[in-house]
Amino acid sequence: MASFKSIRGRVWPLLAALSVFGCFVTSADAQQQPSGFAVERFYQSAPGGGWFVMDDLDISGRLGGAISASSGYERNPLVITGPDGKQKLAVVSQEAFLDVGGSVTYDRFRAYVNIPMPLLVTGTSGTLGPYQFTAPYLTLGSSPDTVSDGRLGVDARLFGQPGDLIRLGAGAQLIFPSGNRADYVSDARYRGMFRFLAAGDAGAFRYAGQLGVHVRPLNDAPVPGSPNGNEFLYGISGGRTFAGPSGWAVIAGPEIFGETAFHSFFSGETGTEALLTGRLEQTGTEHNLRIKLGVGHALQQNFGAAQWRIVYGVELFGHK
Amino acid sequence: MVGVIKSVVLVLASLIFAASVASAQNGAPAPRPDDDFSFMKMLSDKGVHDIDNEGWNAYGQFTYISSWKPAFNAPYTNLNGSINSLLPTAERSFTGTATLYLGARLWKGAEAYLVPELITEQPLSQLRGLGGAIQNFELQKGGATVPQVYRSRLFLKQTIGLGGKSNVEESGPLQLGTHYDSRRLVFVAGNFTILDFFDTNAFDIDPRQGFLGLGFMTYAAYDFASDARGYSYGGIAEFHWDDWAVRYGRITPPKQPNQLPVDFRLLKYYGDQTEVEHKHSIHGQEGMVRVLAYRNRENMGRFSDAISAFEADPAKNATTCTTFNYGSNNSTAPDLCWARKANIKEGVGGFVEQYVGHDIGVFARGMYSDGKTEVYAYTSTDRSATVGVLAKGTSWSRPKDLVGVGTNLGWISDIHAKYLGMGGIDGFVGDGAITAAVERSVDLFYSANFQKIYWLSGDYQHITDPGFNAARGPVNVFTVRIHGEF
Repeated sequence: MASFKSIRGRVWPLLAALSVFGCFVTSADAQQQPSGFAVERFYQSAPGGGWFVMDDLDISGRLGGAISASSGYERNPLVITGPDGKQKLAVVSQEAFLDVGGSVTYDRFRAYVNIPMPLLVTGTSGTLGPYQFTAPYLTLGSSPDTVSDGRLGVDARLFGQPGDLIRLGAGAQLIFPSGNRADYVSDARYRGMFRFLAAGDAGAFRYAGQLGVHVRPLNDAPVPGSPNGNEFLYGISGGRTFAGPSGWAVIAGPEIFGETAFHSFFSGETGTEALLTGRLEQTGTEHNLRIKLGVGHALQQNFGAAQWRIVYGVELFGHK
Repeated sequence: MVGVIKSVVLVLASLIFAASVASAQNGAPAPRPDDDFSFMKMLSDKGVHDIDNEGWNAYGQFTYISSWKPAFNAPYTNLNGSINSLLPTAERSFTGTATLYLGARLWKGAEAYLVPELITEQPLSQLRGLGGAIQNFELQKGGATVPQVYRSRLFLKQTIGLGGKSNVEESGPLQLGTHYDSRRLVFVAGNFTILDFFDTNAFDIDPRQGFLGLGFMTYAAYDFASDARGYSYGGIAEFHWDDWAVRYGRITPPKQPNQLPVDFRLLKYYGDQTEVEHKHSIHGQEGMVRVLAYRNRENMGRFSDAISAFEADPAKNATTCTTFNYGSNNSTAPDLCWARKANIKEGVGGFVEQYVGHDIGVFARGMYSDGKTEVYAYTSTDRSATVGVLAKGTSWSRPKDLVGVGTNLGWISDIHAKYLGMGGIDGFVGDGAITAAVERSVDLFYSANFQKIYWLSGDYQHITDPGFNAARGPVNVFTVRIHGEF
C-alpha cells in the first residue's frame, strides 16, 4: 500500500496539472463563438425588375409576370479585422449561389417570390481577440438542397408611366428564415424590407434608385463583422441604352448599393458595393428576354459587400 | 359482365384481407382533375390564364399526418446494444409538409420546375425497426420537429415531338398544361426524385390522398439512389411511342448510406435504372404494365464481407468502427463499416394496374433485389410484393372520396438475415437477434373529401413481423391525415 506521503507526492503534481488544464479550459470558455448570420447583402430586384438591385418600375398592362434565374460568385464577402487593426480573417472567403424567382404583375402592381440557393460558402476559421470564428463549409455535395433566406415581396408603381422621366413606387418584402446560421446563409429570424423606389428614362439614359429600411432583428454587436440590427438601404443606378434591331437593346451602366445599421449610421458595419452591369434585352413583345451580367467591387468592404463579385442572370417576362 | 367484375373485385379484396398479400403507389404529385379548385383554374376562369397551353403555373399542398402506435409484444428490444429496434412502448409520430410547385415554359418543348418544400416530423423510434412497413411515406431520414425548408426539385424537361396523336396533358403540379405528341423524346436534367418519372402513381392517385405506408409508394425493394430525403441529381431520357414507353436514368447516390450529402462522381458512383411501360385496354378498361430494372454502384458494404471481417478479427465489431457507422453498441456483432467499398446492387421488378370497373382498380408490384448489400437509400427490404385495390366513391355519390386496401410483403436475403442474427444493423433494422420472417403490413384507408380541396383520411395498418423478425410484434398503427391542395 502506498504511504500517505507518497500519495501526497503524487497528488500535488496532479492538482497542478488540473489547475493548468482548468486555466486552459477557462480560457477556452472565455472565447466567444459567433453563431453566424446571413452574410449576403446583395438583394436582387424582383424578377423582371431590370437592374440587378434597383428596379426600373416598368410595371404595366394586364396580367403579366416574369421568371428569373441568376447565379454568381463572390470573393471575401466577410473579412473581419482584429482588435489590432492589422490581423484579418476571411471567415467567408467565397460564396456562390443560384437564385430563382418569379413574379406576377397586374396593372401597376407586382407580387414576387425569390428563392436563393447557396452552392458554395467556405472560409477560414480563426480567433480574433475574444472571438473564435468558425468558417462555414457548405457545398452542393454536402448540402444538396439548401434554401437560404427567401423573400416574398410586393411592389407598386405609384407615380408616372413606363417611359416617363420620373416614376416613383414603393415595395415591401418579407424575408423568411431558412438554412443554418452556421453556414452564414441565414439570420434564422424573420426580416422585412420597406423601400421607396424611383426610376426614369431620359432619351437613351435610364436611372433608378432606392431608399429603405431593412427590419433586421439580429444584433450581434459587439462581435466584429456582424449585423447591428435594423439597417438603412440605399442605392442608385444609371445607364445608357444602345438600341439594336428587332426590339433588342443593350443597357450598360453602374449600380451602387449598400446598407448601414441605424445603430452605427455610416460607420461600423456599413457595406457599399459598385457593380458594373450590362444587359441585353428584347422588349416590346408579349414574351421578352433579358440576359444580365455584372462585375462588382466593394467600395466599403464590410460584411456582404464582397471584395469582388461576378453575377449573371436571365429573365423571361411580359404581359398581356 | 359488371356482376362478374364486381365478384372479381370482392374476391380480390377478400384474398387481400385473408392472405395478407401486398400493394403499391407513388411519390410524384398527381394531376388535378378539371373540377378541382386551384389558383390556376381560378385565373383561367377569369380569362387571364390559358390553362390548356400554359406558360407557367403554380400549385401547392399541405399535409399533416399523425400516427399512434399502441404498445406491442417484444421479448427483446435492442439486444446486446444493437440499436435498430422498433420500441415496444406506445408512441406517437407525425409529419407536416407544405409544398409549392412552380413551373414555367422556357422555350418550345422546354419546361422548368422548382419545388421548395417545408417539413417537420417526428418518426416512431427514430425511424428504426421497420423495413418496407414504415407507416408514413412522408418520413425522411434525419428529419426534425423544427421545420426545415429545402429545395426538393429543380429540373429542366425538354420534349421533342415525333408525331402520332396529340395527347392532352392537364395542368397540375410538375406539369404545365399542354399537348404532347404520343411519339416523343423527353430529356430531363437536374434535381428530382426518380419516382417523378419511374414507377409513377398507380391510377394517378396522389399519394397524399392514398395509402400511407412507405411500401406502397414504390417497390419496397427498389433501393433507388437518393439522398436522405429521397431526391437525387441526374438525367433521364424517355422514348414514348404511342402506348409504349422506355426510359433510362442515371442519378446520384449519397456519399454515405442514408445520409444527405450527395456524391456527384456520376462515373464512379451512380444509380442506373431502366423501365419499359405499356398501356393497354381490356374490355374497355384501361391498364398498364411496367418492368423496371436497376443497378447501383455505391460505396456500400456486403453482408458477407462484414461477417467475414468480424469472424477473422472480432475486434472489427460494431463498436470499433473507424469510418461511417450507425452507432451500434453491440461489441459482439459485425458491422458494415468494415466492409464498405464500391459494390453493385441490382434488382428487377414488375408492376401492373388494371381498372376493373368504373373508378375501381387493382394493382400489384413485386421486385427481386440481389440482397447482397446494405440498404443505401430506401428500405431494408431485399424482395417485395404488394397488391392493392383502390376505389373512388362514385358509387356512393362521393366521387372525390377514396378508399383503398392493400398488403405489402417484404423479405430479406439469407445472408442479410444471418448478419442481423449476429447482432448487426443496417440503416433501419437490427434488433440484436432475429427469427427471420416475412415482414407484412396491411393498410386500409378512407379519404373523405370536403370543400373540394381538403381530404381527411383515417388509416389503419397492421404490421406483422416488424423488421423481418417473427419474435416481435405484431404492431398496430392508427393514423389520421389532413391534406389540402390549392
